[in-house]
Amino acid sequence: MTDRLAGLFFFVLAAGYLWLSAGYVAGFGDPLGPAVFPRVIGIPAAILGLSLAIWPSHNATWAGRAGLLRQVAAMGLLLGYALLLEPLGFVPASFAAILGLSLLMGAPPLRGFLTAALAAPGLYLLFDRLMGLPLPLIGEMLG
Amino acid sequence: MIGKLNHWKAAGLAAAMLFAVPAMAAECIAPADPGGGWDFTCREVGRILAEEGLVEGNVQVTNMPGGVGAVAYANVAGKRADDAALLVATSTVGITQIAQGKYPAGSDQMRWIAMLGADVGVIAVAKDSPYQSLDDLLSALKEDPASVVTSGSSGAGGWDHIRLLMLAEAAGIEDLSQIRWVQFDGGSPAVTQMMGGQVGLVSTDLGEIKGFVESGDIRILAVLSDEPVSAFPDLPTAKSQGYDITGYNWRGFYTGGEVSDEDYAAWVEKLKTLYDSEAWQETAKSSGLEPIWRGGEEFSAYVAEQEKQMAEISREIGIIQ
Amino acid sequence: MDILALLLDGFSIAVLPLNLALIVGGCFAGTLIGALPGLGPVNGVAILIPLTFAFGLDATSSMILLSAVYYGCMYGGRISAILLNIPGDEPAIMTTLDGYPMARKGHAADALAISGVASFIGATLATIGLTLFAPLLAKAAIYFGPADYFALYVMAFTTIGGITGTDPRKTLLAAMLGLMLGTVGLDPSTGVARYTFGSFHLYDGFDPIVALVGLFAISEILFFLEQKAHGGGLVPPGSVFPRFSRIKEGLGASLRGSLIGFIAGILPGAGASLGAVMSYSFEKRISDRGSFGKGDPRGVAAPEAGNNAASGGALIPMLTLGVPGSGTTAVMLAMLISLNIQPGPLLFERSPDLVWGLVAALYLANFVLLILNLPLIGLFTRVLGLPAWGLMPLVVAISYLGVYAITHAAFDLLVMVGFGVLGFVLRKLEFSLVPVVLGLLLGMDMENNLRRALSISGGDFTILVQSPIAIGIYAVTAGFLVLSLWLSKRSPPQMA
Repeated sequence: MTDRLAGLFFFVLAAGYLWLSAGYVAGFGDPLGPAVFPRVIGIPAAILGLSLAIWPSHNATWAGRAGLLRQVAAMGLLLGYALLLEPLGFVPASFAAILGLSLLMGAPPLRGFLTAALAAPGLYLLFDRLMGLPLPLIGEMLG
Repeated sequence: MIGKLNHWKAAGLAAAMLFAVPAMAAECIAPADPGGGWDFTCREVGRILAEEGLVEGNVQVTNMPGGVGAVAYANVAGKRADDAALLVATSTVGITQIAQGKYPAGSDQMRWIAMLGADVGVIAVAKDSPYQSLDDLLSALKEDPASVVTSGSSGAGGWDHIRLLMLAEAAGIEDLSQIRWVQFDGGSPAVTQMMGGQVGLVSTDLGEIKGFVESGDIRILAVLSDEPVSAFPDLPTAKSQGYDITGYNWRGFYTGGEVSDEDYAAWVEKLKTLYDSEAWQETAKSSGLEPIWRGGEEFSAYVAEQEKQMAEISREIGIIQ
Repeated sequence: MDILALLLDGFSIAVLPLNLALIVGGCFAGTLIGALPGLGPVNGVAILIPLTFAFGLDATSSMILLSAVYYGCMYGGRISAILLNIPGDEPAIMTTLDGYPMARKGHAADALAISGVASFIGATLATIGLTLFAPLLAKAAIYFGPADYFALYVMAFTTIGGITGTDPRKTLLAAMLGLMLGTVGLDPSTGVARYTFGSFHLYDGFDPIVALVGLFAISEILFFLEQKAHGGGLVPPGSVFPRFSRIKEGLGASLRGSLIGFIAGILPGAGASLGAVMSYSFEKRISDRGSFGKGDPRGVAAPEAGNNAASGGALIPMLTLGVPGSGTTAVMLAMLISLNIQPGPLLFERSPDLVWGLVAALYLANFVLLILNLPLIGLFTRVLGLPAWGLMPLVVAISYLGVYAITHAAFDLLVMVGFGVLGFVLRKLEFSLVPVVLGLLLGMDMENNLRRALSISGGDFTILVQSPIAIGIYAVTAGFLVLSLWLSKRSPPQMA
């Protein structure tokens, strides 16, 4: 079943990809133009996707309810980390993300807390100071 | 060689880097990956600004690649329009993008500080090419626009391409779109492909291909400057051959549109001091730039004028409608 | 011999105490940077440039430092690929195919030792090639035109079909997906924005590093969270000491991989990733009896020898022509220029100290890396014993940092999480992730070269098969396919 869905997904993706490629025209430029290569990829991808939908070869089993919940929570954490890195600053955001992820992955609370408390400022020192890659120390909201 | 003293200095520096409080030092955004021209402008100017004591501490270089500078442009316009500590490197290439509507806003959104030098466009052929002068080349192109495959480091409609088409137009070639143009990822890859016989001509910046000029692997048919360039005074200009075309690629800086007049004037003055320093004059020459100064209001007017011109040329040769 | 005298001069420069210290320090830093997901050699070298200025190093010492870092990164990228199934940088993707399965079986130490020795062989052979033939090879590389590059990419993608098990349709679909993702962004030939949906952030397309970290590292976390949490590590650490017999198994593959990788490296633009792909697929074609992809030592040795040889080879166009063979060499070139050294055809004549000092330093760096890496195997395998709840969140934080510090855009982090979900779903469905990354990495160059070729010919497709080089490459590709068909008939793999 999952293969059929994946095949269908690829077919729709490739079809949309092909459809959009039609809009790419350059008034000026090389003889091939920007639309031909996408077609060269999109057409076989659509055919392969369709074939997978018709003749599936595998059925994936997904995690149980608890597992799915953990995965969704992790996704939430990762997205939040990405969005809050600039507003909160690197150290607080990383602390929260590392702590949250390690608890999700089954860390004993105290040790998870210690890991995050050491790692967040440690990584800041390593990247910003030692390697000279600038990072926001304190966020836009606090600074 | 580097003695004991420097080791101590090095160790001290490393220690200082670890514990120093982040000073409100200047920041330079290079709107490209490390290694390109904009990155180079930021790093070199940043280094000299620090060495000459024009800023506190070091200039922090931030790479912000994307959309030939469009990402950095949008970022500065949206988030840091009033950040007085900020310099952003740009060049004629950026103005070309603005003129063709490929940035999120026009040039009036920023305050243009100064240009410090310019790379000069050249038209080069391989040493065994049959074309000895610009006239030879252009008359061959006039007879059959497909007879010479041309190339450079920009895509069709980019600055390298436009400069060549301006020359072709001046030579009276009608159907500019018949001229074959091949894009490479830089001037030196284009030149090596030309040496391998894949293409017949390269239009790019002199600085990028200096090494091949010195080694004699290529012949420069024309430099697109008003006067012969100081590093290679023997190379003929297009003007001296009767084609009134120049094609500079200047290097300069802008900052956010809401930076105060005071801070803006301070930057202009700092860069002017830098421009006059021996260190910059030397750096510019060694990297193939002609030191040319335009600053403050004069530079802003120049940018606005160039944007207008570039849009006109792009329209004339059919790159934008 | 003339070269020998020059090389001896070079060694006399490389063994100066300062330069030796730079070699050791650079190798160590490079290994670390390479091993951290999200930080590759380009970043490593770019990070160190301000340091070279701050320390007031001269051009030769600076180049020695940067090259040591560059070589170190190539060694380091494999470590996280083997231990965590997360390639530290792009060229290490092929190493996950057999390296991680070896680690899962408890043979992490063997895999690290094999890849370390293979890296040494690849890099040393490439350095010898550089010493003896640099100017000659550079002359040959010039004659490689766009049509020939296109043929090379066709060869790479044709051979991808067989590199992973399961359903070949899925491997192809994964490659197509990568190619599709690769077309996102401004079209370099015409400047038309494709599949960007109005976002300037997508104008430069997807950064392969962002895709790589998302697909491999983030998806790994989602996988881990499927089961109920336990306090143990990700895979059994197994023995801390590598076995010599296993190292020997990879020697032949290392030699073959080195040669292929070296050739890929000399061609400007092809680079280390292509070297690793071709070495792996070649080795698989000739050696596989069903064990590849399940932890075959040769599947670790070939791509590692390949990518290290390629990075050595990439120095040839850089030094002899001033043409960057990869992102890293582009950064090194920029630094040379700012130190007032003009790269290009005259570099060998004008700055022999720099060139030969650098070459000598590369020999030394290889030994240093081998000596540095073998004793560290024990330490690295112990990483596997760390509880996953400590290790994986750190890997995530480092990846976020690495990506953010280079692009300064939260957008890229969101893209990375998106790639993480994609990677997880694809792996659940038994799609291999390697072809996705390869499509993304190589697709754009493939299209560019096709379009360059057609721009030259004015739209005439016969240019693709006019050059003898292209014809030769197509012939080899066909030969490969026939050979692998014949081999698979002769001894069918145990599992289809």
